Amino acid sequence: MPVAAAPADPQTETLRLFQEHGASLYRFCRVTLGRADDAEDVVQETFLKLLQHLENHGARSNLRAWLYTVAANACRDRLRGRLRWLPWRLEQDTRIVDVTEGRPEVQAARRAMRALAPRDRLLLSLRAEGLSYRQIAQAAGIREASVGRLLARAVQRWKGKYALLT
Amino acid sequence: MRCLHEVELQAVADGEAAGASGANAWAAHVAECARCHERVESIRRDLRDVAAVLETAGEIPPRLEARVREAITLQEPIRGSTRLREPVEVPAWRRPRIVLPLAAAALVTLIVSGVLPRFGAPPTLSASQVLSRSLETLASAQGVEVLEYELVSDGLANGSWRIHLVVDHDRPTRYRVTTLAADGEVVAAMSQDPVRQRRTQLVRVDGRNYVVNVAPVSNPMLSLPQMAQALAETTITMMQATTDPKLTVVDGPQGRRQYVVEMPPVTPTTTAATLDLHRARAVVSATDFRIREFEASGTLLKQPFAISFKLLQHLVLSGNVQMTPDPFELLPGPGDVVLEGVAAEHPFEELLTTLARELARARAF
Repeated sequence: MPVAAAPADPQTETLRLFQEHGASLYRFCRVTLGRADDAEDVVQETFLKLLQHLENHGARSNLRAWLYTVAANACRDRLRGRLRWLPWRLEQDTRIVDVTEGRPEVQAARRAMRALAPRDRLLLSLRAEGLSYRQIAQAAGIREASVGRLLARAVQRWKGKYALLT
Repeated sequence: MRCLHEVELQAVADGEAAGASGANAWAAHVAECARCHERVESIRRDLRDVAAVLETAGEIPPRLEARVREAITLQEPIRGSTRLREPVEVPAWRRPRIVLPLAAAALVTLIVSGVLPRFGAPPTLSASQVLSRSLETLASAQGVEVLEYELVSDGLANGSWRIHLVVDHDRPTRYRVTTLAADGEVVAAMSQDPVRQRRTQLVRVDGRNYVVNVAPVSNPMLSLPQMAQALAETTITMMQATTDPKLTVVDGPQGRRQYVVEMPPVTPTTTAATLDLHRARAVVSATDFRIREFEASGTLLKQPFAISFKLLQHLVLSGNVQMTPDPFELLPGPGDVVLEGVAAEHPFEELLTTLARELARARAF
């Protein structure tokens, strides 16, 4: 009688999943949030939550979608937080200008992406990462039936902004 | 079969049509119809371009990899070179609006600045009394006040912004107002300091900041906050003069009591009035009597408008304290284009003439 292999311990499994999905999750957060440092924070938070999830014997099926859902929620929280009080000072604003390497059309595509509303950016990023409508709905907190319509509009808005920049 | 609409096309392009009713017919139609076929291909190309944008977001930084590994091993967040922090910025989402957001921002500021006496909420209070105290104290604020609020405007200027304002109530022509898009991007800013006889304006055009410095300047007849004060007083007076303003008490954030003063909606009519209110609502803290939220709609100079704001933060500094850095100074950042302007009667005239002059010079080359 075959014996099922014991699941890897949570730390090993988390590290394996980080190796597998860390880079794409980082790119997703980077595009969604627009800032590298914020993206790094969210990636770390997400994998720490994954570790807790596994230690608490949470479901291990479709952990990729789980990771994107947690990361998308964290991104949304951060974007909401930006609307709250921030003691902004121009002289202390040390934001780094984004690198501009790459072909002009890629630069324009990136600027068009940045110019989108956060939800559009989130939806397009999730889709571009290959998530299904069901997974996108789960991650973005919207109804699955609405995903196609919202995606279509997000694509149109992105194209419109891209056309303005090229 | 009819041609597919955008949502159906999107589903086909995404390979998500399988579960939909009529999916087979969609696929058959796309195979036969050149137009729909091209539209599906176009969507796929767009998504590939979006994916390319994701690719250009870069590889995972080595420091992040080390940091996450350490965090997983220690099972706690690591605060390294990429420490956990409050979020600060994001990309622009609107073209710059220069004059109107600043004016609208200033309008709201003075409404917010109506600090009512802090002797606690009386047991009974009428709507008119609340507004009356607000009016009485509108001009009595002292020291340097720092305000941050959300502003949504329609008609005067369309959009939503976050406004950061510093105003010196002891010298009403000394102020700095910064308008930020909802995502934190600076849209426009203006500072004026009669002590230094200096005025600076910042506008953002196509992702670049242009800073226009003008010195020496004479004080304008009215500063933005002063103009806003006049309008705010008029608005509150009109609310007060309403026959039956409604007052309710509600639980605000953290269980703090708030007064809600509402002017009953009126049917818009064509009038020659400079300012006509159709609806107004103010939320006043019962703790300190500060106006926390305000909404109004009507017509101003016969143009319809709707405006609402929500106070996010408020701070009063002593006017005698020397502050470093100077909160009234508007300094250029790296990459900003700094221009020297010539003083004019109106600040916006200065901005316009300076930018036009630079454009003419650029064309001459």
